[in-house]
This record gives sequence, C-alpha cells and structure tokens, in this order.
Amino acid sequence: MKIRSSKVASLVVASAAMLMTVPMIGTAATSSAAAKPVYVIGYEGPLSGGNAQLGINMKWGVEFAIQQANASGKLPFTLQAKWYDDQGSGTLSPAQAQAAVANNQLVAVVGPAFSGATKAAEPFYSNAGIATVSPSATAAALATGISNNNFMRVVYGDDVQGSADAKFLVSTKHVSKLLVLDDGSFYGSGLAAVVATAAKADHATVTSNSYPQSSNCGGLASSTQYTSLATQIVSSGVNGVFYGGYYCDFGLLLGALHTAGYTGVVMSGDGSESTALISGTQPNSAAAGVYLSAAGGGSGGNFTGALETGFLKISHGVTSANALYAPQAYDATNVIIAAMQKVSLTGSLEAKRIAIRDELHKISYKGITGTIAFQSDGNLAGSGAGQIDFYQVTASSATGNVGGYAITQVGHN
Amino acid sequence: MSGMIHFFSSHFATLSHEFWPLLVGGLATGFIYAMVAIGYTLVYGVLRLINFAHSEVFMSGGFASFFLMKWLIGSSTPNATETVLYLIAGVLVGGFAGAAVATTLERVAYRPLRRRNAPKLAYLISAIGASYFIFNLAAKEFGRINFAMASPFINHPLFTIFGAQVYMYYVIILIVGSIMLVSLDRLVATSKLGRSIRAVAQDAETASLMGVNIDRTIALTFILGGFLGGAAGYLYGLSFGVVYTMGFTPALKAFTAAVLGGIGNLRGAVIGGLLLGVVESMAVAFVNGAYIDVVAFAVLVLVLLFRPTGILGERLGRTA
Repeated sequence: MKIRSSKVASLVVASAAMLMTVPMIGTAATSSAAAKPVYVIGYEGPLSGGNAQLGINMKWGVEFAIQQANASGKLPFTLQAKWYDDQGSGTLSPAQAQAAVANNQLVAVVGPAFSGATKAAEPFYSNAGIATVSPSATAAALATGISNNNFMRVVYGDDVQGSADAKFLVSTKHVSKLLVLDDGSFYGSGLAAVVATAAKADHATVTSNSYPQSSNCGGLASSTQYTSLATQIVSSGVNGVFYGGYYCDFGLLLGALHTAGYTGVVMSGDGSESTALISGTQPNSAAAGVYLSAAGGGSGGNFTGALETGFLKISHGVTSANALYAPQAYDATNVIIAAMQKVSLTGSLEAKRIAIRDELHKISYKGITGTIAFQSDGNLAGSGAGQIDFYQVTASSATGNVGGYAITQVGHN
Repeated sequence: MSGMIHFFSSHFATLSHEFWPLLVGGLATGFIYAMVAIGYTLVYGVLRLINFAHSEVFMSGGFASFFLMKWLIGSSTPNATETVLYLIAGVLVGGFAGAAVATTLERVAYRPLRRRNAPKLAYLISAIGASYFIFNLAAKEFGRINFAMASPFINHPLFTIFGAQVYMYYVIILIVGSIMLVSLDRLVATSKLGRSIRAVAQDAETASLMGVNIDRTIALTFILGGFLGGAAGYLYGLSFGVVYTMGFTPALKAFTAAVLGGIGNLRGAVIGGLLLGVVESMAVAFVNGAYIDVVAFAVLVLVLLFRPTGILGERLGRTA
C-alpha cells in the first residue's frame, strides 16, 4: 500500500511537470532569449502523384527564398519551411490545410499550388486568418467568393490566360474549328470554358467536351478513352485542339493523337507546361510542335546569374526556365517575408497571422517576376498584358532536353 | 420525338465515318481487357475468389518490361529483327514478372488463409491489403509519375480497312492477344494441367481424392493468369506508359469483362473483354466523353438483367 502511494505521488509529480512543460512547448518559438524567434512558412502543393513535378518546382522556389533570407542575417527571426503534400487533389488538401493551421509556428502559406486543391483548402486557412499566396492557382473563380481576403496569387488568373490562349489559336495560328477539351478538374474546366468563350467571340467554331483524369494520372477513368477520342478528333475535321488540364493526361492525349495521325494545332495551358509532359508522352516525339501557355510573367521572370546558380543547387541542375512557377514561388515567399518584416509580430498566433495577411494586401514588392501588389480580391494588380507566355515543344539538343525535345518560349500576349 | 430522330441520325452519320477506326481501337483495348480478365476468371474458377490484387500483377508486368525496354532500346532505333525480338522479350518479361507477383500473392496472401479455412471476407481483405502494399511499394521505388516506355517499333499505319488506317500497335496487340488467348484455351482444354484446373474448379475435394495436387494446381493457375496479366501490362504500357496506379481502372474493366462474359468461363472472359472494349470505343461517338465508363457499366447491368450469369454463363469446371 505504501509502495502504491509513492507510485501515485510520483505520477502526480510527473503529470504536473508535463503540464508545466506544455505551455513552454507552445511558445518554444520565442522562449529562448538569445535565439531569434522561429516562424514557419508552409508550402502546400503536390509533391507526389501524377502531376507532382509542378509542385516540386515550386517547393524549390520556396526553399531557395527561405535559405537566402536566413543566410542574409538581416531578419529579426529565423524562418523554417514546412511542406504539405496535397498531391494537387481537392480531396487531400483539406487535411493538409488543417495540419498547417495546427502548426503553432506557421504564420503564412505559399500555395496551394493547384486550383482545385486551393478551393477545397481555403475555408480552413480563411478561418485561421492565414494568408495563402499561390504561385500558380490560376482558376478565375478563386478570386471570388472566398471570405476573409486571405487568398492571393502572384500570377494572373485563367480569365487572362484563357483569353490570351484563344487569341493565339484563332488569330495567330488561324484555327477556325476548335475542339476544347478539359479534364473535369476545377482548374481544367475553368480554363477550357474561358478559351471556348473567347474563341467563339473571335468567330471560331467551337465544340467542347470533358474527359476525366485517367487512372494513369491519379484519376479513375480509363486511359484508353484517349484512343477513341483521338479517332474522333481526326474524323471530325477540327484544325485545332485546346486541352484544359494537367500534363499527365495531356501526354496521354498527345500519344493517342499521334497514333491517330492528327496534324492540327494542339495547345494546353500552364498545367501542362512542364518537361514532364515530354517525358510522359509516348513516344516523346508525339509532343513535338505542341503549344503551351503559362502566366509566367515573361521570359524575364526566370532566375539569372548568381540567383540561377543558387537555384541550380537546390533543383539538382534543373534550370528555372524548365521549372515552371519556381520563380513565382520564390517571389510569393519573399513577399510574405517582406510583409513579416513590416508588421509587429507580437500577440497571439492568430494576431500574427492576421497582421501578415492584412499587410500583404497593402504591400508592393518588386520581385523577379515583376512588381507584386494584390487587388482586394487577391488577384495580381494590372491587366496581365505581356504576362502570358506562349511556348512550343521543339527538337533540341540543349542541356535538359528530354528525348531530344525541349520547351521553348515563342512569344507572349 | 423529332429531337431523338435528329440525335440518332446525326450520331449514326458520325459513326459511319468513324466506325472502322473505332472498331479497331476498341478491339485492341478489348484484347487487353480479355488478357487481364483471364486472370480473374481462372482464379475465380478454382478458388471462388476475386483476386483484387490482380491489378498489381498487371502493373508489375508493365514496369518489368518498361525497365527491359529502357535497357534494350535506350535512345536507339531498333531494326526489324530487333523489333520482333524486343517485342517477344517484352511480352515474356512482362508475363514472367506478372506470374512471379501472382505466385507470390497466392503463397503469401491466399494460401495461409486457405489452410485455415478462412471466410471469403478474409480473402477479400487480404487481396485489398496486398494490392495497396504492392502499388505503394512501386510508387516508393519507381516514383509517382507516368513513364513513357521506350518502344521497339515506330507506330506507323500498316494497312487500311474500309478507309481506316490500322496502326502497328493495334496489329501487335491483336496478334499477341490472339496467340496467348488461343494457347491458353487449348492448354486448359487439352493438357493434363488443364484437366487438373477443371477438376479443381468442379470439385476440389474430389479432385484431391483422385490424385490431383491442389496446391500445385492452384499455384499454376495463378501463374497462367499472372503471365497473361503481366504481358497485358507490357502491351498497355507501350501505348500509355507505366505508373504505379496504371492497374486500377484496366483491372476494374477486366473484372467487369469477366463478369460480363460469365465469371469462371475462359471464352466468356474473352468475349466480355472484346465487347467491353468495342462498346467503350463506340460510346465516344454517342455520348459525352465523361460518361464512357458509365456506358461500360450500364452494358454490364443490362446484360446481367437478362443473363444473370453473364453472356456465356458460369461454366465452372468446364472452362473449355
């Protein structure tokens, strides 16, 4: 009985000690007098899954910016990055958003990267007052209907990109009969709808159809759907095809179009602007000649000189020109850091998050992709003229080519 | 009414232009479904079990042949002799990889349950668990992106049927698929192994009393089904590339095909596969692309309403 009493006493003492430790853990970011407080900038995007390459590009950009900021020695705090892999999926992103919200050192988020994931995750970030600065979520509808003004993006939306794509197809490439396809995703269907509307306005004959993402690319549909689709495209006589969706399924479509002998103009948007499109297309040569667009901010948006050298160390040799949206992620991170430096990071965690969010709405920051200032709906300020780049997959022997092909910029809007 | 007439007349007009190309493409898809469906139907025949991990047998065959093609071809362009040899090698390596994975599944996931007379639900959970394990392992080891497979041939049109160009890829699938399906049919119908399989399918206990080695027969059944599934993974990969999730939907369709033709019936699996492939292909001309899979399952339900045991019916124990 005596032994049991002493065990109980020990348990009580241990429990009390643990309880006392909890608040210390909670404020670990600021407890050390000598060390700078530690804050986390989260990144949410696909780091695995069929379309992971775009997300990995952005992770490199975030990592690079944080590494540089900490190395500068000028910050009154230390930054850490935390990765939240949503696989680009609207189904998985709420769990990742909740994990980010629960991180008691996290003050802002770069991302989410994909539009569908952004739509699903935003309510969680919004409730927590966390600013999300996306380098790539371009769906036009994201800038409306999100409460609390926490969503911002450093690229122009699909209303700008889709209109530019339609103009490129109809006016520059002289497409008169256009088939507009999408992958059924929030991003793909939104972009496709803008292209279809704009092409009709430019007097092209437009038909639209939707083919859901295949099981080869994280969806459920059969990849064989593209075989039949390609046959139909060839016999339909359309002289242009636009695909709203991501590179994985677009690559399958290109392979099928190649087999079916299609010779018209084929184009897709920023979701397909990756060298992974070429490596995933069977055969690689089936991607040759395809046009792509991206809200990339012009060719000046890539890293150069010492920045490119630093970036190459993180990207394991992938150039920023081949890592779509890495510079945008770098800028998104830096604009958050700039806002953090302008506000007083005191008070509760929520107060800090809200202060950063509010500051981001006022800030004007000169990044490498251009001047970043946000409209009240989170869209990038300005009209987007000259900011939508057009690319083409061409034969290339340059470093970084995939199977003898590379993505080359051919103009902008 | 006039709207309906217009709908059908316009779609039939479209179909008249596209019928032959869609038929050829649909048959090629159907052969792949049939080769995978054989795996389901064989296993069901002897174990009354749906091997839901068969999708990973298909994927394993795809990846094994992907690595072989990468090693053999690289960035070179094979000549005619090499094309034939590489194709055979791809089919064999894909097939053997599929057979190896199927055998492992039987030994690890099913045999221990069979020895303990576990309920059918335990087999189902074991199959699902094995499937998740294998495809996640593949994702971890090979990455989560779609890899284009180095092709041993240039996919150009070989000849024309009623105005439809028939490409080399389709011809290869039709030839390889026909050879494998006919060979299997004859093997099961005429060989000693085939008799053992049919005996076990009919009555395992009696077959055992008659001297049939049940364990060996079941293992060989998995090997046969796995070989065809793995080879199908190679043929599929030649067109769509390989990725760790590549087995999910084709295997689901193949299972549908097996049920459509009559589960447990070899020829039924072939007919079900071909029918499903062609129906899906033709559906593009009639419905929105987003509903192709809906059409496939609607056909299944429709057939089962009139023939609950499938087109040829379950012929357990009389698979030939």
